[in-house]
Amino acid sequence: MSNSWKNTAGWLVALGLVAVMAACGGGAPEPEPEPEPEPQVEEPTVDEAAERARLEEEARLRREEEERRRAEAERNRVLAVIAERVHFDFDKSDIRPDAAEVLQRKVTVLREYPGVELRIEGHCDERGSNEYNLALGQRRAEAVRRYLVSYGVDVGRFATISYGEERPVARASNEDAWAQNRRAEFNVTDHGQLAN
Amino acid sequence: MKLLNHRLAKKVSAFVAALSLVPAIASAQVPVRDSIPTDVRLGIVYQPSYRPGVVMPLMPAAEGLRELADTARRMILRDLDYSDRLQIMPVSEDVPVEGPVNYGLWDELGAVWLVVGAVEGTPDEPVLRLSLHDVVYRLLQEVRAFELPPLRHPEFRYAIHAAADEVLRWATSGTGIAATRIAFVADGPGGSEIFVVDSDGFGAHSVSRDSSIALSPAWSPAGDRIAYMSYKRGDPAIYEIDLANGRSTVRVDLPGMDLTPSYMPDGTHLGFAATIDGRTEVYTYDLIRSCCPERATFARYANSLSPTFAPDGRRFAFNSDRLGQLHIFVKDMNNGSAELITPYIYDRSVHNAGPDWSPMGDRIAFHGWVGGTPQIFTVAPDSRGLRQLTQRGRNEDPSWAPDGRHIVFASTRDGTTGLWVLDVVSGRIRRVMTAAGARLPDWSGRLDSASHLTSGAAVGSESNNP
Repeated sequence: MSNSWKNTAGWLVALGLVAVMAACGGGAPEPEPEPEPEPQVEEPTVDEAAERARLEEEARLRREEEERRRAEAERNRVLAVIAERVHFDFDKSDIRPDAAEVLQRKVTVLREYPGVELRIEGHCDERGSNEYNLALGQRRAEAVRRYLVSYGVDVGRFATISYGEERPVARASNEDAWAQNRRAEFNVTDHGQLAN
Repeated sequence: MKLLNHRLAKKVSAFVAALSLVPAIASAQVPVRDSIPTDVRLGIVYQPSYRPGVVMPLMPAAEGLRELADTARRMILRDLDYSDRLQIMPVSEDVPVEGPVNYGLWDELGAVWLVVGAVEGTPDEPVLRLSLHDVVYRLLQEVRAFELPPLRHPEFRYAIHAAADEVLRWATSGTGIAATRIAFVADGPGGSEIFVVDSDGFGAHSVSRDSSIALSPAWSPAGDRIAYMSYKRGDPAIYEIDLANGRSTVRVDLPGMDLTPSYMPDGTHLGFAATIDGRTEVYTYDLIRSCCPERATFARYANSLSPTFAPDGRRFAFNSDRLGQLHIFVKDMNNGSAELITPYIYDRSVHNAGPDWSPMGDRIAFHGWVGGTPQIFTVAPDSRGLRQLTQRGRNEDPSWAPDGRHIVFASTRDGTTGLWVLDVVSGRIRRVMTAAGARLPDWSGRLDSASHLTSGAAVGSESNNP
């Protein structure tokens, strides 16, 4: 009989433990909260000046970077305007209306940047005679130069050269390729104020 | 008398045979009327021509000279064929080459000329002995010994060509074109370079090394230099290559572009075009004094370029767009106005270019567009007798051979870019070579650079039948 009592007592203890654990929420014991760190004490007199200088330097660098980006964007804009090709009709050196629009944009930037100098290259499609195309390409380059000069850009800022049909941009023998190859290209020979 | 009759009969029968061909040839021609008005007579009309037959049996050769002898014979036969003046007749290899000439045998074959050759001497100093026999008259016509360089020597082929031209001169009194070369432009590392090739298509090599754009080669009359245009210093100028040492030096560099050089026949001046006020005009330049460019054309709002001189140097033909279309003009050197020699047509696609004055003086070759594609034409300097000579593919930039009957031109007729030779008398066309971007050929005059090849004197009659 004594054995059965012992058993009963054991069960009770076990039950009691379960009850205690249930009362505690069943989880792991909560960790002790850590003590708050002591706030560090700064010495304001020296560091405020440094911080101001640092911020000013950062701002200056930002401004410089911004300025550089703006100049680069401007340079790219100007170079893109200058580099835009103009195209010609077959066996012609007349400035077409679409070419005039392109050249007007060039006039604007060339006025803005008076130090910029260009070499105008005249090109032809492959159909004419090799030798005649040299003359035709020259006429195209000259037609472009005359147009730009007629809007007040100094003639001394332009050199011209003809490549005839020797430097095609499109190699195929079809109307699309020919139209692309009948062109004037623009090379900056002096960047003037665009240099930096 | 009997012999004379025999020869006449042969000629008459050949003539009749040629005549009988005429209707067939004529019906095969389709006159080109693409953009040409009906008052201009055009068509590819070749005269039926009689070509006397020629035979050349195998040559006996001294020891170690068999290969040379066979090479020389093959080259001579091909050169005679390419002259388009003689009909090469095949000869079987078992015909005896020793002993006296059997005229009867060759006459049976139908040959009019017999070339008998032998190679003597040593492999280091070979001698080619050639004799020409008139089979009809049964006579020895000419005989000569040619000292040759060794077989592998760079001048060997040239020496054989010169000998073949001599045989042709004996037989026809005509100028041979075997010992000539052709300068042309082809694609190179920086764009294009100037090349030179023998007239039979052998030995093509570049003579400019500019790694730039090189165009418009022109032979000096003596054949020792080539003038051309190059971009190698940026600004296009005219240079001269000294073929003896390969050196290229600037000759004309006016402000702007200098282009399309061409020597005057006496070699004293260079004709060329240069940019002035945005257009091009023809100038001459004094090569002797190395100075004094002089304007030769005056058209204020037009381009004038590509001069080519008459053999007497008094007139020149050139290319100009002064009428709003591209045409060929002829002008007196000293004064006078430029005369239009190509037909003016109310058609926007008129594009006549690349004139070359024949060394015989009677014709000017050029290329003109037919339906937008360039074809080779010839016309008299007074604008008469316009003839179209090609039809297939693009055919451009003709240049006369020194015989005044062959023309080299750039063509795409077989689908690739190449140089072709046309005989304006017979209409025969052969390909010289193909090369990427082959263009602007210029045929040399007679080349005398091989003058070191001393000719042996005619020898005694006992040596006439080797």
